[in-house]
Amino acid sequence: MSAETNMSDMIRVEGLGKRYGDPATGLTALTDIALNVRAGQFVTIVGPSGCGKSTLLQIIAGLVTSTSGEVQIDGRTIVGPSPDIIGVMFQDAWLLPWKTARENVEFPLALRKVPADQRKERAMKLLDLVGLTASADQYPDQLSGGMRQRVAIARSLIQKPKVLLMDEPFAALDEQTRTRMGNELLQIWQESGGTVLFVTHGLTEAIYLADIVYVMGARPGRIIDRIEVELPRPRSIDMIGSEYFGRLRNRIWHLIADPA
Amino acid sequence: MTQLLPRLAPALFLALVALVWETASRSGLADPDVLPPFSHVMGVLWGLVGSASFRADLGLTALEVAVAFVIVVPLGLIAGLYLGEKPQAYRLFSPLLNLLLSVPKSIFLPIFIFAFGIGFGQKVIYAVTLTFFIVMLTGIAAARSVPAGLVNMARAFGASKRQTYLEIYLPAMEPLIIEGARIGFIYTVTGVLIAEMYGSPRGIGRLMFAWGESFRMPELLASVVLVVILTVFVNELLRWLEDSRQTHRSRA
Repeated sequence: MSAETNMSDMIRVEGLGKRYGDPATGLTALTDIALNVRAGQFVTIVGPSGCGKSTLLQIIAGLVTSTSGEVQIDGRTIVGPSPDIIGVMFQDAWLLPWKTARENVEFPLALRKVPADQRKERAMKLLDLVGLTASADQYPDQLSGGMRQRVAIARSLIQKPKVLLMDEPFAALDEQTRTRMGNELLQIWQESGGTVLFVTHGLTEAIYLADIVYVMGARPGRIIDRIEVELPRPRSIDMIGSEYFGRLRNRIWHLIADPA
Repeated sequence: MTQLLPRLAPALFLALVALVWETASRSGLADPDVLPPFSHVMGVLWGLVGSASFRADLGLTALEVAVAFVIVVPLGLIAGLYLGEKPQAYRLFSPLLNLLLSVPKSIFLPIFIFAFGIGFGQKVIYAVTLTFFIVMLTGIAAARSVPAGLVNMARAFGASKRQTYLEIYLPAMEPLIIEGARIGFIYTVTGVLIAEMYGSPRGIGRLMFAWGESFRMPELLASVVLVVILTVFVNELLRWLEDSRQTHRSRA
C-alpha cells in the first residue's frame, strides 16, 4: 500500500499482537492483526466467539495494551483512552443508574467540566437524533434495552468523535430491535460522516451494515479475510434476501467454519 | 393504603406488644412484680427522663456510642474497600479475618478492662473492636458491587482516577456504605452497653445491670424501652436514607 493511502487511513492497525502470561508458554490472543479503515467508512469485524475481536476493539480504544504492533487513529498513535477522537459502545449500555438519560449523555462532557447549559443543549440534540427527547428525564431502569442502547449511542457521539468503536452493541437485543437499531445507526452514520468500526458475531449484521467486513479466526485470533460489500446505500432490509447477499454470507460462513 | 401498611406495620406491632403487655400484667396472667404494667413502666420512664442524673448517664452512653461510631464506620469501610479492591491483600488477610469474625468478642472483655480500665476509652475501644470486622465486610461487599463495565466505560470517556472514584465508585457503593453505617450503629450500641454492663462507673448499661441485680423491674424495663426506641429511631433514619437514595438503582 502506498504512502498516500496510508495518510488517508482513519484507523490503521499494524502487526498487532496480544499475549497473556509468559512469552514462551503464555496464551496468544491475537497475532499479526492489520486493519485499514478510511475516513467515513463503516467497517465490521466478524468472527466466532473467543477469536479476540472484543479484545482487538478494546486495544484500538486504548483500554487494553497490546504486546506488539501499533494502532493509529487519525495519524495519532493510541497509547490510552482518547475520548476526543474515539467514541465507544459496549454490548451493555453501561449507563449510570443514578443519572437520567440526559445526564448519562452529558457524562463525557461533565468529565471535561463543560458548562451545564452547553452540556444540556448538546445532549438534547443527540437525544433528539436517537428519538428519545421524551425520555430525557427518565432513569435507565425506566427505559427498555433498545432505549438504553440509544442513550449509549448518543453518549458516544457527544464529543463528536472521529471514530466510533462498537463492541457487539446490539447483541443483547431481540432481532427486531436489533435490525431497527442497525438501520438507525446507518442513518446517524451517514448524516454525521464519521468512521465506524463495529464488532459482531452476526454474519447478517456484519454484511448488512458494512462497506468492508474483516473476518477473524480463533486460536490464535487473526484476520482471515477482508471482504468489500458491494451493496448500494442506503441499505434496505430486502437486500438481505438477495442472491449476492446470500453468496457473501455463505462465503464468510465457510471462512469461519473451516479456516484455511 | 398498600403503600402505607408496610410502613405502619412496625408501629402497629409495637402497639400490639404494649397492649398484650398491659393486659397480661393487669389480669395477673403475668406476675406484676416481674412484668409491671406497661403504663406504669412508661410513668417510671417519664420520671427517669426528668432526672438530671439519669440524663447524664444517658448522655455519657450516647457520647460513647457516637465517638465509637464516628471512628469505626470510616475505619471499617476504608479497610474493607481496600481489601475489596486488592485481591492479593484479601487473600493474605482473609483467613485471619474469618478467624477474628467467628470469635465472640465478648470473651475478651476482661482483657479489655485489664488493658484499658473501665472508663470512657475502654467502652469506645471495645465497641470499635466489636464493630470493625462487620463494617469491614460491608466495605468489601461495597467495593465488589461496583460493576467493572461502568469503570471501563468511564475510562473510555476519559475519566481520571479521581473522577472514577468520585463519579463511579462512590455513588455505586452508596447503598452498601449506608448499610455499613446502619449495621455499624447497631453493633456499636451493643458493644458500649455490654462493656458498661460488664464494668463501668456510669452509663445506661451500668444502670440496667444494677437494676437487674436489685430486681427493680420498672426501672429496668423503662430503660430497655428507651434504648429500643432510640436505636430503632436511628436505625429507621438510616434505612430511610438508604431507601430514598435507592429508587433507580435496581437495574443498570
